[in-house]
Amino acid sequence: MSSFLKIAIRNLLKGPSTDPYPFGETFVPKGLRGKIKYNAKACVACRMCEHVCAGGAIQIREVADKSGLEFILWHNTCAFCGLCEHYCPTKAIRLTEDYHTAHRQEDKYRYVEKGFIKYVNCARCATPMVPIAFELLNVAHDQVNEDIEKLRHLCPKCRQERALR
Amino acid sequence: MSTYTIPVGPLHVALEEPMYFRVQVEGETIVGLDITAGHVHRGMEFLVMRRNIYQNITLTERLCSLCSNNHPFTYCMALEKIAGIEIPERAEYLRVIADEIKRIASNLFNAAMLAHIIGFDSLFMHVMEIREIVQDTKETIYGNRMDLAANCIGGVKYDLSDEKIKYLMKQIDRLKKPLEEIIDIYINNKFVRARTEGVGILPKEEAIRYGVVGPVARGSGIDYDVRVKSPYAAYDKIKFNVHVENGCDVRARAIVRLREIQEAINIIEQCLKKLPNGPTCIDYLPEIPAGEAVAKSEAPRGELIYYLRTNGTDMPERLKWRVPTYMNWEALNVMMPGNKVSDIPLIISSIDPCISCTER
Ligand code: SF4
Ligand code: SF4
Repeated sequence: MSSFLKIAIRNLLKGPSTDPYPFGETFVPKGLRGKIKYNAKACVACRMCEHVCAGGAIQIREVADKSGLEFILWHNTCAFCGLCEHYCPTKAIRLTEDYHTAHRQEDKYRYVEKGFIKYVNCARCATPMVPIAFELLNVAHDQVNEDIEKLRHLCPKCRQERALR
Repeated sequence: MSTYTIPVGPLHVALEEPMYFRVQVEGETIVGLDITAGHVHRGMEFLVMRRNIYQNITLTERLCSLCSNNHPFTYCMALEKIAGIEIPERAEYLRVIADEIKRIASNLFNAAMLAHIIGFDSLFMHVMEIREIVQDTKETIYGNRMDLAANCIGGVKYDLSDEKIKYLMKQIDRLKKPLEEIIDIYINNKFVRARTEGVGILPKEEAIRYGVVGPVARGSGIDYDVRVKSPYAAYDKIKFNVHVENGCDVRARAIVRLREIQEAINIIEQCLKKLPNGPTCIDYLPEIPAGEAVAKSEAPRGELIYYLRTNGTDMPERLKWRVPTYMNWEALNVMMPGNKVSDIPLIISSIDPCISCTER
């Protein structure tokens, strides 16, 4: 015992244990934390993702013509920690299993994930507002009925008035 | 015989981390030692005061790569103490599982380094390949090979489905046999023994005097483990042994680390069996009042202490941590003298130093 020879021979017979990547496939488990994907339709602009991101990879800003909010995520600043996804109420921000992040040096500032949330007008008073994602209703209510669906198109103020009536 | 001083480092002494030694030698034998630290100061203590409580989960995880899970873990425990948050029971078990998986990988890495330093590279490769089982496990369960990102305030942000529990059981089962094989080699192989036995002696009294922690303490006969002395998370519900060796040398420290891997496997198995159902995290955003707290845990390298002070805002007022290497590297002053120059890297690696968290 305690001789390494047996193990060494066994390892030799087993052949290489490295993956042939990039010329072949490599091990990618389900649930790998890779590049971020953002879905503007499900986003309610709560900005929690921006708040929890340690590197400041995420920015949500109103565009110059005030027609909506622009979401930008710098892939190169992301540390793949998954906090944004964890705290996102609607899971509009997700980490995908795509780990291919190689890109040209000249593209490094353009290497971003972008999205645009276009303001909609309140169905009652026409104030521009962030559209309320259907996903949020699903989080807040067990069942989304017609009344709730109607409230979705009202701004917070009108919603309040409607609720108090 | 002439006495002279040789500089060792700052680059590539044992690991690719900067540490600088001025070693006084007489012929081949070390007679004195100066340790110069501070080559990788990253200003982390300042950075944490510029980040909110959530961002610091991610930031503290990047203090150290090998103990990475212990930092956010201990940081979250300190926060939860201040805010009086009770975390769900399932989360306590999941935190222990994450921590023990990291311990296995970390200790295997150090064992592999030992083999590499003594020139036994086929053993090095073999141990790294065993570690690969753990790396794949981490990647599958957490999504990343090093920084698990398992912790969040009030619990964990991963869960184990039945399928994943089965997978984890299978993976740790795969570790058992190869582990026994290599433990036999580290203990009995005559080449390994010739290089590690009687090298870098830290007698028990000196170990106590220097207040060393972790496997360095336990390799010098000190029965001290935070998981037992002041249990946290689910450790008080788990039965496990603290392995202590009396060799006081490089070999003893290596054996302690290897035995701790077996113990970690035992702990994970118990956790998986006992894993209660329920939520994995609190379901509200906590408010953190002003206050201060100390939290500690047993990192792979030893006792890790966090001190946190908050002021009612969501930015910490002060966060300070004492890492195991800070206690352990001073003991090199005892371990080194009397040994040969060729043993310098071996002795340094035997304290499993982590410079990045010590100098942060
Ligand atoms: S994964 Fe972490 S670092 Fe990346 S965008 Fe989300 S919060 Fe920021
Ligand atoms: S992506 Fe999610 S967390 Fe970020 S602003 Fe949108 S809804 Fe909020």
